[in-house]
Parts: sequence; structure tokens; C-alpha cells
Amino acid sequence: MIVGAEWYMTVAAALFLIGAFGLLLRRNALIMFMCIELMLNAVNLTLIAAGRALNDLGGQVAVFFILVVAAAEVVVGLAIIVAIFRRRTTASVDELSELRG
Amino acid sequence: MSWEVDYLAIAPELIIIGSLFLVLGLDLTLPRLKKYWTATAAVAGSALALIPLAFLAVEGETISMFDGSYVVDEFALVLKGLFLVTAYIVFLMSVNYIESERYYQGEYYLLLLASVLGSLVLASARDLIVLFIGIELVTGPLYLLAGWRKGDVKSNEASLKYFILGVLSTAILLYGMSVLYGLTGEITFSGLAEATAAMPNSPALTMAVLFLIVGFGFKISAVPFHFWAPDTYEGAPTPITAYLSVNSKAAGFVAMLLVMYLALPGVSDVWAPALWALAALSMTIGNLSALRQTNIVRLLAYSSIAQAGFMLVPFAAAAVAGADLEEAFSATVIYLVIYAVMNLGAFGVVIAGARTTKSGEISDWAGLSNVDSRAAVLVAVFFFSLAGIPPLAGWFAKFVMFRSVMIAGGAATVVLAVVAAVNAVIALYYYAKVVKSVWLDDATREFPGEFDEPPAGSLRLALAISVGLTVVVGFFPALATFVADASRVIAAGG
Amino acid sequence: MTFSDWIAEPVNWVFAAIGLAVLFSGFRVVTSKNVVHAALYLVGALAGTAGLFLLMSAEFVAWVLVLVYIGAVIVLFLFGIMITRAPTGLDESLSSDQTAMPALLSAAVFVVMTWASIDAFGTELLATVGEATSTQVIGESLLGRFVIPFEVVSFVLLAALIGGITIARRDLTPVEEEERMSV
Repeated sequence: MIVGAEWYMTVAAALFLIGAFGLLLRRNALIMFMCIELMLNAVNLTLIAAGRALNDLGGQVAVFFILVVAAAEVVVGLAIIVAIFRRRTTASVDELSELRG
Repeated sequence: MSWEVDYLAIAPELIIIGSLFLVLGLDLTLPRLKKYWTATAAVAGSALALIPLAFLAVEGETISMFDGSYVVDEFALVLKGLFLVTAYIVFLMSVNYIESERYYQGEYYLLLLASVLGSLVLASARDLIVLFIGIELVTGPLYLLAGWRKGDVKSNEASLKYFILGVLSTAILLYGMSVLYGLTGEITFSGLAEATAAMPNSPALTMAVLFLIVGFGFKISAVPFHFWAPDTYEGAPTPITAYLSVNSKAAGFVAMLLVMYLALPGVSDVWAPALWALAALSMTIGNLSALRQTNIVRLLAYSSIAQAGFMLVPFAAAAVAGADLEEAFSATVIYLVIYAVMNLGAFGVVIAGARTTKSGEISDWAGLSNVDSRAAVLVAVFFFSLAGIPPLAGWFAKFVMFRSVMIAGGAATVVLAVVAAVNAVIALYYYAKVVKSVWLDDATREFPGEFDEPPAGSLRLALAISVGLTVVVGFFPALATFVADASRVIAAGG
Repeated sequence: MTFSDWIAEPVNWVFAAIGLAVLFSGFRVVTSKNVVHAALYLVGALAGTAGLFLLMSAEFVAWVLVLVYIGAVIVLFLFGIMITRAPTGLDESLSSDQTAMPALLSAAVFVVMTWASIDAFGTELLATVGEATSTQVIGESLLGRFVIPFEVVSFVLLAALIGGITIARRDLTPVEEEERMSV
């Protein structure tokens, strides 16, 4: 008896929440960004598991698009981080206190 | 299997793509001093794209492509028109702003055109994948544009904050979508609507819907997911702020309403209370925070958060009361269209006035009417319109909102209507504060900037279009109701 | 499913090993005091996910994940770490002090999410004989049914590429610009 989709989804849920936990915990822009990558990866895992359970192609196609978009977002994010740290040496968002709501 | 593509139906998108490549080519070949041609190309592109739109509107046929995942109906056309007109105004507002400060011009227009393309795709999206790609194309370039004032630390941080929260909201949104897909195996809205209506309400379905609402909540900066907005609005270049508060917010709204209305009408008992809470919180917190603001851009940021709350009211009220969503849907779309015009005007006048005052502090705007009466008149027009004072367009938006709440009826909607009414009064106070500062207060200092020369022609045109629409729609609200009729079509054809 | 059923199937062992490795790597990304280590653990988490994809016979996306993410994105992250001169050694200030609240919150949401997804998907089992979705089928659907998002996503990439370079590049000083224009 092989593990079912809900097992993969549980792993995905755990990974998603680990990412969310890290996002709340960490103060380094690069690591916060890595946490978001973990969350997106969890989404991919859910989609593939769902697609497998349903025997449907849509899940894999969606994952393909998410991968492409996430790769583009990485470029955007790192460009923004590089632009900021041309001026600053720290990567801690706590010190970005110029703007406070 | 072959797929039919109707090229007339996607002509607006193709024209925007064409002008995007034209901007790219011009930017590569032109010398620095002639780069303003890229602005011309962008302005012309967004105007030209309206022509096939008019053809399609006259024809009035619903064109459905790719398994119903990409639909051009009257509703999509109205929204595309809204996105193109507002983009046109934003391009006009950008011309001098971008030129005067040695920003990268060609890349600026290229990114903005890409974002406009995303909003056009979004208006036609009728499946989750197209919707997701559309949202990402709208927001992706904006993360970068928010940081376009590279020399200013505020702008850098605006862009980082917007980016982190934007990508986070995408991840949350996607998780919701993935669970939804897992439950139904469907990605088209029509398929989802059938599947969710037939399915008993399970915890997983509730969870998916809540994830979607949180994700969209970030995109439309509804309270309590709004905290990125004031900082990002303040740090970004002002034309981009205008675009963020109008186009990208409208795009978020459209995406959310499409999903809730077309894909998940069967689970409205889950999302209706959530939207109700979002509406009430956004209006109240947005307005109360706006009261405390001394900076005009931050004030507009909180005001746009509160306005998002007003926009949600008809839809949330009707859904909670179990009334006809069609009426509410068109009320929300009318509010969105009117808000877009007057809010763009408000930002336009902020750009025009800032030439004189060189400051965003409201106290520094005191006595502006003495030196630049035209700008002062426009401040009054747009801010009173935002407050909803007749005969400016804003009153009709508020009227439509309250009317649709009346139609819905029920205890929960009455509470929401009372909250909205109280908030409309609070809002009047801080909008009037700006107008009072400009008209009645004495100048406390010499204005540092120029005020003899009128602003550049493109900015004047942008202001003329917005003020014209604000006044005309205010006097002849019948003009806006055609929007309502069009958005009603979606119920039949969507 | 009893425990003896479960344990008799070697695939389940593979799943458990990879799943735990993914979760451990993910946890280390979040807690590691060293930015470079965090990036390397991210490789682990992603590679593990690709492994899980393979277990579910999703070969195409598994290899896309490996090539795009591990091959390019992580390298980009490492470049980012080097360029921004983020502290690469031990650094206590990387985390905020409040651990309890985020941890509790995440754990609570995890319980709810897991309960909801087991409730919804608990009865469904993956088909035992996995017929892998062929790359051909995916490719055909990308250029057929999904051609619009496929074309539109290229503009996401174009915008990210051009905008990223513009934002990240060093601006010329006015003097340098004069020189360049006079050439």
C-alpha cells in the first residue's frame, strides 16, 4: 500500500508553514526571500500531489508556470536587494527604518 | 486538437505588445536627449489600443477562446477600457516627471507597458492559470518601478517592502488555488463553479477560500493586509503611486471579484463574511489613519485603503444578505471606474502642485490658491469628489454603493451601511482639511518652486481628462450606468 | 492502512526519507545562523522536492526544478550574498528575538491545514502503477490550450530581465556620463 496524496500534502503544508515561520522570524532580506521560495515550493508539491491523485495534467502545467514566474521574481528581488545594499552594508530589515507606518 | 485564435479580440493586447517592442527598440537606438520618443510611443500605444476595443464593443459579441479560459465579453471590454484610459493618463503624468529627474526613461515605459499588458490579460482571464500570470505581470514590473528613484533610500525600501509582501501574498494565493484545484480538479472558473456548488462544504474548501481572500487582501491593500501601502506609496515616484493606487488596485479587485463571483458563487457563505469584515475594517481603519496624516501622499494612500473598503461594500453586503450578486457586481464596477478617474486626478494635481511647493507636507501647501489658482481649483475638485460631494462624480459612486446595500437588505447589511455612512463623514473631514489648507490658510513661507509657468502640456492634458470625466459623470451619471449594463452581461456570458 | 502494510512497501521508505530530509532542510534554512548555509540547505529542500516529484512520476517538472532552481536560482542567491557583502560568518542578528509567537502561530495553522487536507484527500490514493505524464503531452498543452499564459509569461521574464538590470546597475556619475556622451 503506497502513501496517498494526503501524505505529500502534509509534507507540503509543513514546508509552507516552515517558510511562513521563517518569514516571521528572520530579519535578513535574503533569507526572508528564501523562506518565500520554500513556501512556493510547498505550493508546487501540493499541485503535483493533487494532479497525481486526480490523474490530471493541469497540476503539472501550473507548476511549470509557477517555476517560471518564481525565477523571474528571484531576479527582481535580488536586483532590489543589490540596489539597496549598494548604499548599505547590512542586510537586516530592522535597520531599514526610514519608512515606518 | 487545434485552437482558434481571434486576432481582433486580442488586438488591444497585441498593440500594447507592439508599442512595448517599439519602446525597446527606440531606447536602444536613440541618443540620450531624444529618449522622450519612448514616452510618445507608450502614450500612442495605449491610445491606439482603444480603437480595436471600440470595434469590439460595437460588435458586442462574446468571444471565448481556449476552452473558455480567455474570454472577451462586454465586461472584459469595459475593464480593458478602464485599464487603458487610466494607463494613458498615467503615461501623460509621467512624461515630465521622469524626464526632469534623470531617471531611466525607456525602461520605465517598457515596464509600465508590461504591467498594462498584464491588466488587459487579467480582464479576460477565466481560468486560474491565466489569472495568476496576469496578476504577476501586473505587479512584477511595479516592484521595480516602486524603486525607480534609485538615489532615494525611501524609494529603495518602498520597493523592497512591496516586493516581499507581494511575493508572500502570491504564495498564499497560490496555496489557496492549489487546494482548490486539488479538491475539484478544475482550473476554469466555470468548471470550478459547477464543482464547488455540487460539493458539500469541507474544511479544506473553507481553508482554500480563506487563503485566496488573504492573498487578494494584500493585493488590494485591504485592512489588515494594508501596512505595506502607505510606505510604498510614499517612496515610489508619484506617477507610479498613482498607477499603484488605481490600476494595480483595480487589477487586484477584478481578480478577486472574478474568482469569487464566477468561480466560487457556491461557497459565498464562506467568503461573504470575510469580505464583510474586510470592507468594514478597511473603511474604518483607513479613514481613522488618514485623519492623522500630515503628508499628502500618505493621506491619499490611507484614503485609497478606505475607498477600497467602500468598493467592497456592495459586493459584501449582497453576498452576506444572499441577494442578487449581479446588481452588487455592477455597483462595485461603477465605483471602481469613478474612483479610478478621480484618484488619478488627485495624484496629478499632487504632481502639479508639488512643482510649486516642493513638499508633500499638507501644511506646506497652505496658501497655494494665492499663487496658483488653477491647481487650487483642481485640488478642490478632486478632493471633494473623493469625499463624495455632489455634483462631482464621487457622489454617484457613493449613491450607487448605498443603493445596492438598500436593495440587498438584512441586518448585517444595515450595520455595514451605517459603518459606511459614518466613514463617509469622517472622510469628508480630512479631504476638506487639504482643501482648507490650500484655499483658506495663509502661506507660512515663500514657495520654493516655480509657479509662473504652467505645467507641461502632457500633465495638463492628463488633468483635463480627469477633471472632465469627474465633472461630466457627476452631472450625467447616466454615462456611468452603461458600465453597469456591460458588467451585467458577465452573468449571462461569463 | 496498518503500520505493517505501510512498512512492507519500499516506496514508502523512500517517501519518508525524502520527506523528512525536505522538512529538515527547510527548517535549517529558517534557523541557520549563516546565510550561505541557509542557501545550501535551500538546495537540499529543493532537491528533495524534485525527488518527491519523481516519486509522483512528474518527471518533466522535476527536472525543470533541478535545472532552473538548483542550477540557476541558487547560484543567483549565492551571487546576491557575495555582492551585498551580507555577513557570511556566524551572525546572531539574523533573527529577531521573538520565536515563541511565530512558532505557535505556525504550528496552529499547520494542525488546521493538515486536518483539512487529510479530511479532504484522505480517501484518495495515488494510482499504484504510475504512468508518467510524458513531456510531449505537457509540451503540446503548453503550446495549445495554455498558449496564452505561455506567451504572456515571457513578458514577465522580459520585464524582470530589463528592469532587474536597470535597478541593480551602478548609475553613471554625471562626469562619467559627459565622457560617454562626448565619445
